[in-house]
Amino acid sequence: MNDTFLDPHQRATIAAAMARMIPTDDTPGAAEAGTIDFLDRYLSGTGHIYANPDGVGFEVLTGRRLWAWAQRLEVVRARYVAGVRALDDAAGRRGGRFVDLDPEAQDEVLREVERPEGREQEADAARAKVALYGAPVEAALQQTSAEVDLGFVPLLALHTRQGFYADPVYGGNRDHVGWKVIGFPGPASLAEVHQGRYTTIDYFAEDRTHPGTEGLS
Amino acid sequence: MNSQTSAETRHDPTDVLIIGAGASGATAAKVLTESGLRVVALEKGPWRTRETFSGDELASINRYDLWPDPLLNPRTHRAGVDEPATTQLFCPVPQMVGGGTVHWQGWLPRFTEEDFRFHSVVGDVAGASLADWPISYAELEPYYTAVEWAFGVSGQAGANRYESFRSKGYPCPPMPMSRYAEKYHAGAAALGWNSFPTPQAALSQPFDGRPATVLSAFAQQHGDPSGTRSSALNVFVPQAVATGRYDLRPDSVVREITVDARGRATGAVYEDAEGRLHEQRADVVVLACGAVETARLMLLSRSAAHPHGLGNENDLVGRNVTFHEFSSAVATFDDPVYAWAGGGYVSASSFEFYGHDDSRGFAGGGHMATSGVGIPLPINWSLPDRPAWGAEAKRVDREFFNHSMAASMVVHDLPQHDNRVDLDDEVVDDWGMPVARITLTPHENDLAMGRFLIDRSAEILEAAGATSIQKVYPDRVTGNCSHQHGTTRMGNDPATSVLDRDCRLHTADNVFVVDGGSFPTGTGANPTLTIMANAWRVAERIAAGRDASSRR
Repeated sequence: MNDTFLDPHQRATIAAAMARMIPTDDTPGAAEAGTIDFLDRYLSGTGHIYANPDGVGFEVLTGRRLWAWAQRLEVVRARYVAGVRALDDAAGRRGGRFVDLDPEAQDEVLREVERPEGREQEADAARAKVALYGAPVEAALQQTSAEVDLGFVPLLALHTRQGFYADPVYGGNRDHVGWKVIGFPGPASLAEVHQGRYTTIDYFAEDRTHPGTEGLS
Repeated sequence: MNSQTSAETRHDPTDVLIIGAGASGATAAKVLTESGLRVVALEKGPWRTRETFSGDELASINRYDLWPDPLLNPRTHRAGVDEPATTQLFCPVPQMVGGGTVHWQGWLPRFTEEDFRFHSVVGDVAGASLADWPISYAELEPYYTAVEWAFGVSGQAGANRYESFRSKGYPCPPMPMSRYAEKYHAGAAALGWNSFPTPQAALSQPFDGRPATVLSAFAQQHGDPSGTRSSALNVFVPQAVATGRYDLRPDSVVREITVDARGRATGAVYEDAEGRLHEQRADVVVLACGAVETARLMLLSRSAAHPHGLGNENDLVGRNVTFHEFSSAVATFDDPVYAWAGGGYVSASSFEFYGHDDSRGFAGGGHMATSGVGIPLPINWSLPDRPAWGAEAKRVDREFFNHSMAASMVVHDLPQHDNRVDLDDEVVDDWGMPVARITLTPHENDLAMGRFLIDRSAEILEAAGATSIQKVYPDRVTGNCSHQHGTTRMGNDPATSVLDRDCRLHTADNVFVVDGGSFPTGTGANPTLTIMANAWRVAERIAAGRDASSRR
């Protein structure tokens, strides 16, 4: 089964842009985590939306869920195709394609493409502000924002983050590098959670008894 | 639409038909079936088992595996009656067997005696449609105990200095103390404020044949593959099924409640997964879809006897809706707090500012508690000032993911006549039915309370030794709690309430509402324990009424 969507130039351009979203420094970044593989597989079709809970294979969508995801993917694919064009257009004014620019110039281009212009981007900025204390592009605490509502750069930031930190079953977070960078002791695999073996008890307080409860019955 | 004649399948009548199999519907089903009644339940969403859940943050939180899909089940929201409505997931709750309890982390504080006579305690507040409850804390107390002992709630009686009378302690001791709970206790103690282990719908020790919880990080907003958190799905549904009298039909979307010429309910017409229409008749109909969807279904159920929607003779169905709002002061610490451990909501709480105090300048108060920052897992964690991308974003992730936590609070938003749920006049769901439109303007009391509680929360963090603190004031109501109440308020006066004290429609005596729609005021505490306790109470009344009529 073909699990790519982007053509070689689009793929190289998005991979370069993702490397600016989560750069490589003394610790791994988007490039080492394989976030481009995560994204390209997501865009390839409805076959990789939900991993099976035991971590083996993916759910085959049917009915309304299939319809909804097909709709959503169409919107997101179009945003990436247009986004690559926008990056190259802005890069062209600096004398090259996006992939040919140095990292600082790539950041400038990304900020230019991200910059609010017109009502749609203003709405984007407003949505970002709604994110009270969740990720800036992902609506806040108890809710998820609809990714089809996001502009290209916020969408790219979101997908890079997902590809860096999602369970490796989705193709990114290779060898758990994303989790290692931030010190999250995630499960070895979804199966570990599914079988009820994954615990975080070692990260609780040393004294596990709440103060003030000892004398009460 | 005359769906009564277009139904392809007509089922044998049943004693009770319950619409919805979430927190309230499953509680009612357990009590009714155990009393000997035959129950048919229609649930809009799927009937998932714990084998379908895992530790998948991407699917659970970002890809609508549990949340409603906004392309299929949208809602609209507007900030006032003159504003245009926009489509958004306002106050979503999972639509499946178990409802919101499938993915909650289950904070289960009780309301207090004062909550049930809130209007009398605080007096009139301009612009707010306050009302006392027609029932008292004392009436509900045995049902609180019943739910706590059915669920195996983990908590400590007496630890909350402001809790009202309880007839029995908790069945399980408190959850183990997380590092973020430890900080919260330390900060509160330094200020001389009471704090206590948050009562939780999870097992701190084996209970009723279920093992103690494994304390996975994938808990809040994830389904539970281990069966060690307590939910309607893994406690009440199996108990109802075990009676042999619970016919639970998932993937069944109700189009309308049908009524006879006198306006009494006869049953419901619903659509199955293949789009076929069915008719189910029943002696009694119980609505348990959550306050938003129950109001929507009542408004969709227009008939000659109820031309403005079922029970809507006084234009009250959908009005006085309250949603709470959850917000936080967010802090960083030098030492790690791992505020994702156990899922980020194995917490400590305070009711220090829960009760009303005239000197504060606003009415009421709210539940304060510690938690992780938002959804404190790798994909969705953030800090308020973190940029969306780049080297600085990565630095913030690396330095603070393990070193940040929140002191949070629940706003007790006041009911207002013009804050309401009605039917959108343009947007329909994937079944072609008008969606719920939320019209909501926060009351100045809501905003003042939110700012006050966030300031107190920040003081706790400061007293606990935080290195930085950011306050996120809840200056908007976003519906981020998934709590919803008030759309069919109960009361003794049919002119000012939709339901009587037994949560029976004033204008259709065989229809009951058991979800949070019955709450005259939203209170400042997480509502689901009270929703379940009240559903248990109402179900007992329904069963008692059936006994009386069958003896006649």
